[in-house]
Amino acid sequence: MPRIGVYICHCGENIAGAVNIEEVRKYAEKLPGVAVARDYLFMCSDPGQDLIKQDIKDGVVDRVVVAACTPRTHEPIFRKAAEDGGLNKYLLEMANIRDQDSWAHWHDKEGATAKAKRLIASAVAKAALLEPLQDRFVEVTKSSLVIGGGVSGMFAALDLANAGYKVYLVEKNPSIGGNMAKLDKTFPTNDCSACILTPVMVQVGTHPNIELLCYSEVESVEGSIGNFKVKVRKKQTYVDWDKCTGCGDCVEACPAKVPNEFNEGMDKRKAIYIQFPQAVPKKAVLDIEHCINCAKRTIGTEPRIHSKTGEPILAFCEKACKTGACDRTRAWNPEGELLELNVGTIIVAAGYKAMDKTPFKEYSPQSPNVVTAMQLERILSATGPTEGELKRPSDGEKPKTIAFISCVGSRDKNYHTYCSKVCCMYMLKEARLIKEKYPDTNVYIFFIDVRTGGKDFEEYYDYCRDLGIKIIRGRVGGVDELAGDRLRVRAYDVDLGNPVELEADLVVLATAIEPAPGLEELGRKLGITCGSEGFLKELHTKLYPVETSVKGIYIAGCAQGPKDIPESVSQARAASSAAAVPLTLGKVVVEPLISEVDQDKCSGCGICVPLCPYSAISLVPRDDKLRAKIDEALCAGCGVCAAACPSAAITLHGFTSAQIHAQIEALTAGIGGGASV
Amino acid sequence: MSSAQATAEVINLSEGELDLVNEIRELGGEELLECIQCAKCAAACPMVLAGFPFFNKRVIQAILLGLRETLLDDSSIWACQSCNRCTEVCPRKVNPFEIVQAMRRVAVREFALPTLSIEGIKSLYDTGHAVYLADAWQSREKVGLPKTPPSTVAYPQALKDLQALMRKTALADLGIIPMGEAGVTDTCEV
Amino acid sequence: MKVGFFVGCNTSFNRPDLEQAVRYAYPALGVELDDLEGQSCCPSWGTMPSIDLVGWCVLGARNYTIAEEKGLDMITVCGSCYGSLAESKYKMDTRPEVKARVNELLKEIGKEYKGTSRIRHAVCYLYKEVGPEKIKEALKHKLDGLTIAVQPGCHSLWPSEVYVDKEEDPFHPKVLREMCEALGASAPYYSRLIDCCGMGAMRSTDMEKSFKLVLRKLESMKEEINPDLIVTGCSSCLIQFDTAQEFLRKDRKINFEIPALHYMQLLALCLGADPQQVTGLAKTDVSRVVNRILEG
Repeated sequence: MPRIGVYICHCGENIAGAVNIEEVRKYAEKLPGVAVARDYLFMCSDPGQDLIKQDIKDGVVDRVVVAACTPRTHEPIFRKAAEDGGLNKYLLEMANIRDQDSWAHWHDKEGATAKAKRLIASAVAKAALLEPLQDRFVEVTKSSLVIGGGVSGMFAALDLANAGYKVYLVEKNPSIGGNMAKLDKTFPTNDCSACILTPVMVQVGTHPNIELLCYSEVESVEGSIGNFKVKVRKKQTYVDWDKCTGCGDCVEACPAKVPNEFNEGMDKRKAIYIQFPQAVPKKAVLDIEHCINCAKRTIGTEPRIHSKTGEPILAFCEKACKTGACDRTRAWNPEGELLELNVGTIIVAAGYKAMDKTPFKEYSPQSPNVVTAMQLERILSATGPTEGELKRPSDGEKPKTIAFISCVGSRDKNYHTYCSKVCCMYMLKEARLIKEKYPDTNVYIFFIDVRTGGKDFEEYYDYCRDLGIKIIRGRVGGVDELAGDRLRVRAYDVDLGNPVELEADLVVLATAIEPAPGLEELGRKLGITCGSEGFLKELHTKLYPVETSVKGIYIAGCAQGPKDIPESVSQARAASSAAAVPLTLGKVVVEPLISEVDQDKCSGCGICVPLCPYSAISLVPRDDKLRAKIDEALCAGCGVCAAACPSAAITLHGFTSAQIHAQIEALTAGIGGGASV
Repeated sequence: MSSAQATAEVINLSEGELDLVNEIRELGGEELLECIQCAKCAAACPMVLAGFPFFNKRVIQAILLGLRETLLDDSSIWACQSCNRCTEVCPRKVNPFEIVQAMRRVAVREFALPTLSIEGIKSLYDTGHAVYLADAWQSREKVGLPKTPPSTVAYPQALKDLQALMRKTALADLGIIPMGEAGVTDTCEV
Repeated sequence: MKVGFFVGCNTSFNRPDLEQAVRYAYPALGVELDDLEGQSCCPSWGTMPSIDLVGWCVLGARNYTIAEEKGLDMITVCGSCYGSLAESKYKMDTRPEVKARVNELLKEIGKEYKGTSRIRHAVCYLYKEVGPEKIKEALKHKLDGLTIAVQPGCHSLWPSEVYVDKEEDPFHPKVLREMCEALGASAPYYSRLIDCCGMGAMRSTDMEKSFKLVLRKLESMKEEINPDLIVTGCSSCLIQFDTAQEFLRKDRKINFEIPALHYMQLLALCLGADPQQVTGLAKTDVSRVVNRILEG
């Protein structure tokens, strides 16, 4: 007969405010198998844990049930307490009477108390059937994968590389740099973005421990912490990067023009192009979809021969290339190349996308003089389409009056309900840059709320007002087109209590920061979920902000949610230090809560094999017959196989059928007939 | 400056009625609490341009603060054009028009509605038309049309049906208009 | 092709010439009209909609049942009717509890709202079902050289969610402009094209305030495109533009008059209707424009 100890936590008022602790304690005391039931203000504190340890040492209990908060954060603490007391740490069960009870039913004390009893009865029923288990250890591959080459990904990669670990940095674009490479200057200090970013890009590009995989995307991820197997698709560049020197001659020669993504569509790039002047690596890429195959030089065909000169007739790019990097005769594989990487940990820093202007019909996006704030960054940037001169797109005239509109697509149930967090500051920054360079420009910013909560941000805002930038509280309702490509902005000035109209030469939409395209799919490949807003979800908002629900996978930067550069870099460096821990230890503990096949019961039907999301099950011959076998290193303990096995031959340790049935019986006792709890 | 700011009197917030919010939500303003007072609706509202003191944004704020008397003392809500441009642009899907409409429903229950509305409702009940001109037959004949349109004014059973329905609605409990079983009456110009 | 004609109060009693225009133009383009006998007010915004949601819907539903029994959609030339009927239908079709309560009441008169008929905007209906090309072919008179300021009307635009006939971009509507162009006129953009004219509850509540809005629109039209004619898609807007200008002139707010017609009146004229019958009740002086059309 087991001797179960039940330890009920008040969690200050968190639990005790809704649950009658003494009533629950008395109830628990009488449950079958319970030797002792105690309560304490904070069970996770030292004196609380001592209660448990002492009872174990005194031989009073040999199974422990803690009724408290969530096992997500506190199970390790109580397992350690049980172990310190001299008990196998898997002889512990938790009943979550806070998140699942007192917090949910704070207004209904009677109900909350009754539910606490059921949850504890259920945990006690399971505890009676617990078995001691032993931890496993797996060796860790001492390398890491960083997904995304923006400022977050670069810092995450650099920190790990500087610590001596091999890092693979995967970037989907031809160059690293990310969105930050597009910015002109950066708040709150107004450093030039390129000036602070380019040296970092060069460091990343030349670091001996970093293998840069640009123009590449993650195709699949298998395995678990310590041993991830990652397939990376290196997209076809149609340019031999070993030979390409980034001279740009091919770009110069190419006749096919395509809207330039780097300049937010405001000018054209060529079909063969180098992403931007400071690109790392500085290599050309052929955008095959827009290549016009001049001189009928379809990829992979022999050139025609000139009837008079006898010379081969080449496309402009290959004719211009001095190193032979643009070789269109070569049978380039359109699928590119598939690489297989083995890494111990993964950091996801897949970045964000600033929304386009087209959905916002009320703001007349068809006017060329309505631009997004990201487009304005390119206009202000020395490497942009106007080489840093403030010109409006319709006719290149310098705008005299500029209106900024905040929260375009943010705090908006049609698009994104969250606050994009950086827009208030980037609008102020852009307004300030304009006002400093062209003091006679009239600049108006239409806000809902000015949110400048950050170090030195409020001071920045003050300074902008000192410069004469006009702040108007009131979300803009519409933008009308006027003669001469001018625009009329219509709003209600909340502070004046009056409708207002402004005739402007340029209207700037502060569009929302949204998850990068494909982020959800990437999350699926990695087994980590996105929140309702589409950003990757951290394990715990406060305590584990860079960890995810998958051990060994960490997140950083705007893939986790909108944030500015200082925050992105901080989070990236936090993620790299978390990702370095398993690499440094060299081996990681894996909980023994995994599945095992009873070889005698297994019929070899194979139903479990394709169901396993971790490919951990295979059929192996035993006594001339095939039987299922589970690879302990790959099993993540999800339990799908155990649930599906028609012969009940698979046991998920820690969640055996007997244990779960006992729990359900205790939870449902008295429901639909019988006595209530 | 618009008359929106002309209210010089101090509004005593402690006199706010907290249950006004629930009343509005029950009378069709379900999304009231989604409002963040961004003022985009006000920027699109014809009432603001015309200079009425209470319009979508201010009506919602007054409701949130429970200022029932303040709202009932003002007739602005009855000037709402129902144009619904606010509904189109509202980034919070509040349906500001529905809130104004719900506030009208609150007002009606306190008999705080303009005479013109009462007349319109009476005309609707008596003729099937909120706008009805008894001498319109002259202009109808002038342009070559029959004296009456093919509506409830020409089909007595249809009018009886309509009146039977109206007697089953909330209108019947409010006692705003007499609701007998009448035929087409003379005139009711709105 | 056949469709029910939902006439509405203002058209029946204030502007029967507009009713006559519809009765002329639709058949002339091969669309038969049904009278929807026993129809009533839509009901308009200041009546049942301001009292009770279900009361609003049930009166709308009774109108719909007339069309449903005949298996027809309805058209209307009035923005308020279009808006009120479209919104009540949207509520009944998207909220089963509202539809159930409406049908409970309708049982009283032996009817049931099924949701099978729709309310269509008379101009948009022709745009979609007949098309500008066919209209061009049927014209007896063309409007070459005429400049029109269009006034689609709020209720043909918002809330776009509830309408069958909706603009691709309600903030930059094009149906009425293209329909005017089909008649040979030019219908340029002006910057207050989508603004409210001020007609409706606002004018009943405070005429002076309501006229501020129509004045802003008139000024924008006059300054930006100097039109020969204002063409509306809504009978209420028509009444506002047709009657407000005289007040504004007396007040010395404007020193011009732009004649105003509903699109259906203009179309009927171009299809050969008797001007007296289809525009005979206009307060603005439409004679010059009418003569120009008859010459065209």
